[in-house]
Amino acid sequence: MLIERAAYGNRWRRVTPAAKGAFALAGLIAAFAAPTPASALLVALLLAGVACLGAGVAPALYLRAAAPAVGFLGLSGLTLLLAIDSDFSWRWAPEAWPRVAALTARSLAALAALLGLVLTTPLPDLIGLLRRLRCPALLLDLMVLCYRMLFVFSAALHDTATAQRARLGYASPRLARRSLGLLAANLTLQVWQRAQGLHRAALARNGDGALRLLSPEFAHARRDTACAAVAGALLVILARLAA
Amino acid sequence: MSLLLEACALSHVYPDGSVGLDGCSLAIRSGSRNALLGSNGSGKTSLLLHFNALLQPTAGGVRFAGQPVDYRRSGLNALRRRVGLVFQNPDRQLFSASVIEDVSFGPLNLGLDEATVRRRVAEALAAVGMSELADKPVHHLSFGQKKRVCIAGVLAMQPEVLLLDEPMAGLDAAMQVELQALLDRLAGHGITIVLSTHDVDFAYRWADDIHLLAAGRCLASFAAADLPQHALPLRTAGQPLPAVVEFHRALAGHGLGGSTPPRSLDALLAHLTSKDTA
Repeated sequence: MLIERAAYGNRWRRVTPAAKGAFALAGLIAAFAAPTPASALLVALLLAGVACLGAGVAPALYLRAAAPAVGFLGLSGLTLLLAIDSDFSWRWAPEAWPRVAALTARSLAALAALLGLVLTTPLPDLIGLLRRLRCPALLLDLMVLCYRMLFVFSAALHDTATAQRARLGYASPRLARRSLGLLAANLTLQVWQRAQGLHRAALARNGDGALRLLSPEFAHARRDTACAAVAGALLVILARLAA
Repeated sequence: MSLLLEACALSHVYPDGSVGLDGCSLAIRSGSRNALLGSNGSGKTSLLLHFNALLQPTAGGVRFAGQPVDYRRSGLNALRRRVGLVFQNPDRQLFSASVIEDVSFGPLNLGLDEATVRRRVAEALAAVGMSELADKPVHHLSFGQKKRVCIAGVLAMQPEVLLLDEPMAGLDAAMQVELQALLDRLAGHGITIVLSTHDVDFAYRWADDIHLLAAGRCLASFAAADLPQHALPLRTAGQPLPAVVEFHRALAGHGLGGSTPPRSLDALLAHLTSKDTA
């Protein structure tokens, strides 16, 4: 829920997602355009700075949200520095360092670009943006339902697990396995029942299959998008010149 | 007042063989406030689902504005445009995490243009007192606020009849008072309201008409003010007399409380206080 908290609690909450999307796209282009690892790292730093100083995302929250992906990236980088010889023995491969450094730095910059977008934009706004970009409706409907159900089922999961714990459901490994199985069975049934309930509720409001929804409106959308495009272009130029 | 909704010897048997309704007949007057009063399993929800045509009768029928309900696609759309249903559990009705998105679902399904939908969404949210929370995600709302969003989602379709399944369930006392005030405002705008409840005190205090349900049948329909004269069907439906009626009878035995039973404890208290000051 870290991303969720940042997305709803930052200074750019009311900025059109089109502007934030354009800037994130520019960040991705800058990450790929950066000719050296140092320039890619500069792009990553700038993007993180924009998210924390511009949008007001708390640095600690930013780092916690970035930590899993950065950890995965670090592990991947280390793995790329290993070489396996023909006799299946492994060794460090320092000759791969320049390419690994470039790849890791660019990935970090791309991660910062995407983090900047998701930490400042609630998912319904992003879905609204994708709708305007004419993404397939079926995909967007799934995203809308999955996002909503994520919270409904996490609450159901929490309630059921608490009720089981209150009756010593997790007192021993054997009981824990049994309780976990019952929990999964119960949630499976709930998924089915809730799917039926939502279908019925949609029918009650003249639903015919497609989810027609109004996208939120944003003040100064054109101005903000133009500013984001200019800032994004400057970022790409800076990434090229920083070599 | 003319009859708007009618259940005519309505029966419904669910696929598992359980009986939802068993020859239920009752009529809803246009512009009235109606309470379907009955214990769990008495058929209240089944009846509401029939009024919104989400269920089709096994026998008997439903009439809206004097005409039998047309169960073809166009007929269903026309009916659901005029008869809106608010479900008991908000988490079974709200499928979008955005309040505005969810409220806009119904009016967009009516084929209205975006400007009209935005105006209706704003009006509906204002009507339920949720304008300031329109940008909050649904999962950050309280149960009562979610319920209001559900009502707004139906109000945005501007129905003539609002059906509410156990609207007071799960609400604390303060939220119940707020919701009752909201229902009063909606009724004041001429919307016909039909709600299900097993709270006899609330039904007596709020409704114009009470329909007593038990075992899938309507035992009696009467004006709420006449409820004290229907103790027998109330008992048959497993419902007690409202506390205020019992209290009034006890007071009347001591020459207090007036001749006409008041509809609420507040009204009884006001009567006694005015008598004291007089």
